[in-house]
Amino acid sequence: MIVMDESNISFFKDGLRLDGRRADEVRPIKIEVGVLARADGSCYVEMGGNKVIAAVYGPREVHPRHLQEATRAIVRYRYNMASFSVEERKRPGPDRRSYELSKVSREALEPVILTSYFPRSVIDVFVEVLQADAGTRTAGINAASVALADAGIPMKSMISSCAAGKVGDTIVLDPMKEEDNFGQADMPIAMMPNGEITLLQMDGRLSPDEFRQAMEMAIRGCKEIYEVQRKSLIERYNQIEMEPISPQEVESQ
Amino acid sequence: MTDVISEIRKDYLYNLLLKGERADGRAFDQYREFSVQKNIIIKAEGSALVKLGSSQVLVGVKMQPGEPFPDAPNRGVIITNAELVPLASPTFEPGPPNEVGIELARVVDRGVRESKAVDLEALCITPGKQVWIIFIDVHILDDCGNILDASSIGAIAALLATKVPASKFGLGDDYQLPVKDIPIAITAIEFGDVLMFDPDSDEESIANTKLTVITTADGSICGMQKSGTGVLKQEQIYRIIDIACEKAREIREKFLEE
Amino acid sequence: MDRKVVIPGDLLSEDAKRSGEGTFIKDGKVYSLLYGLANYRDCINVIPLAGKYVPHSGDNIIGVVKDMTFSNWIIDINSPYDGLLHISEFPKRIEADEMSRYLCMGSSIMTKVKDVNSTMKVELTLNEKKLGLIKTGRVIEISHTRVPRLIGKGGSMISMLKKELNCNIFVGQNGRIWINGGAEDMDLALKTILIIEKEAHTNGLTDRIVDFLKREKGARS
Repeated sequence: MIVMDESNISFFKDGLRLDGRRADEVRPIKIEVGVLARADGSCYVEMGGNKVIAAVYGPREVHPRHLQEATRAIVRYRYNMASFSVEERKRPGPDRRSYELSKVSREALEPVILTSYFPRSVIDVFVEVLQADAGTRTAGINAASVALADAGIPMKSMISSCAAGKVGDTIVLDPMKEEDNFGQADMPIAMMPNGEITLLQMDGRLSPDEFRQAMEMAIRGCKEIYEVQRKSLIERYNQIEMEPISPQEVESQ
Repeated sequence: MTDVISEIRKDYLYNLLLKGERADGRAFDQYREFSVQKNIIIKAEGSALVKLGSSQVLVGVKMQPGEPFPDAPNRGVIITNAELVPLASPTFEPGPPNEVGIELARVVDRGVRESKAVDLEALCITPGKQVWIIFIDVHILDDCGNILDASSIGAIAALLATKVPASKFGLGDDYQLPVKDIPIAITAIEFGDVLMFDPDSDEESIANTKLTVITTADGSICGMQKSGTGVLKQEQIYRIIDIACEKAREIREKFLEE
Repeated sequence: MDRKVVIPGDLLSEDAKRSGEGTFIKDGKVYSLLYGLANYRDCINVIPLAGKYVPHSGDNIIGVVKDMTFSNWIIDINSPYDGLLHISEFPKRIEADEMSRYLCMGSSIMTKVKDVNSTMKVELTLNEKKLGLIKTGRVIEISHTRVPRLIGKGGSMISMLKKELNCNIFVGQNGRIWINGGAEDMDLALKTILIIEKEAHTNGLTDRIVDFLKREKGARS
């Protein structure tokens, strides 16, 4: 077993990263729309080894009533990790990290939701991480955005999310687990397709120039992801149109 | 927040019942289509995604060495937990498991424990010091009724797929967790003197009483749980047990095929 | 191209005047607010695939009494918002302490949305013919997004159903539908409505339903 630490790991081999990607490549993404029956809208996303599922309930009545706002819907976002989603079993329930992630994720989506359409109600977004592999918050936001569309929530645009990082002094797109753990910086962002940024976090160390590079790269990543979100929603509609069996077909069976 | 089924849907179900029908056309003792996908979560030592009708439950098994309980120094530990996450139903609220979630976990645990499907003595590493701890974590994804049976199938499926991660802890090579039985839970509801098996979410919300019977491969009963505020007559209980044994056998066969 | 699947934020037109339902205007251009089908007419409307029923003034709906205050019945209308039926909107003059005698908890009513204000206070009325307490017949619930298809262009589908099924049918915009007629006719009506709900998006539905009804009625006799 190779013991990895910052000093002896080499993140690049022949110009490729540990998982064979180039510096500016995102991991393979799979998006499925409408995977849950009870939820008003839902979406399952795989990004690299991340497996997350998002569900939207609402608009619906707010309980407790005192949280209601007279002129708009409130938006709630709850990010949660399953106990078996990580290497060492995690105790169930929210921790400080999940509270923070929930807050910034909500703030990434709220700017595009037309909450004024639904006074005195709540739009609930729930994201469950079933398997974690660095970048769960970005996968969660990508899934949540599609789930909101699936639920028929009016939005000014979709939101797409991706992270950039710095490993071995190189800016990379969509860091994987080892790059996240042993890298020099990690910067997740979320944005509207027109380039307006709704989420920006960073930890590590970047020069202003490196920051600009990382930003450009992350924006390109978000745009790629937007195309996958769009495609999955359009394809889903066509599926529904073709699915139902007519009375005639049932007869001839 | 309870799942208040609208009066309109309740009436609709009553009317069908009077004609001897269920909303989805099933017979009263018929189970919905189910499927089990194993090893869907590679970070877990074992996992299974169960779909029962539209209900979806994901069970993950994680294992790590730990201290035994003082009153059982040579036996491994099984800890079963269920998360009824709000994503799965408009009636699930965020927070620690409430009485429903706790009951579900304990009944699933009862099936695994009392059937002795997992040999706890074989999980002993160093008597009195170190044993294997098995975490069975049930994560409900979509509650469309009867998540208890789905969770119980998921738990045993995940255990059957579990590899003991000995190498990770320097305790030898990884090996398949030996599982000696396949306990299956079968749940029925009582409604208007009719017994209905594998209730969907509408049927669950109109029923007053539920009875779950867990049986082992040789047809013994290893666990039971009546829940709900209604009553059951003795004859109804015997009838449920008879059908439960039969259904469990069908499910066990189908399950082993997959 | 007069119909297209769109997602939130999709550009629909450079002409702000064409902005219809489910769209918004930014910098003089029209964009989609919803995930659904954009209908390109003079106005571009986006019809969503999903979404909750939001009451509009004038909607015929079916509600269920869920609570009562001093002078209002609180009505569940299958929406994030409750409907309020004030005692003065009851067709007969009654006293506050008589309210539960006429409409009690769980009563189903065919009602109309009188007004919806900016904070989504929904006022209902029973002061119209054809509205009132449901005493006979059956009520079924379908997704409210399918109601337009059930009604059909200019009411074509629903008129055909009333005639062929020989039933009285009251279609609530909130997805609840009341049917009254002979027992067999009501069974067939329920079955038919569920098929329409399932296949609302497909082409040639009206013809298929006409054929279906012919076969079912033929099989009966």
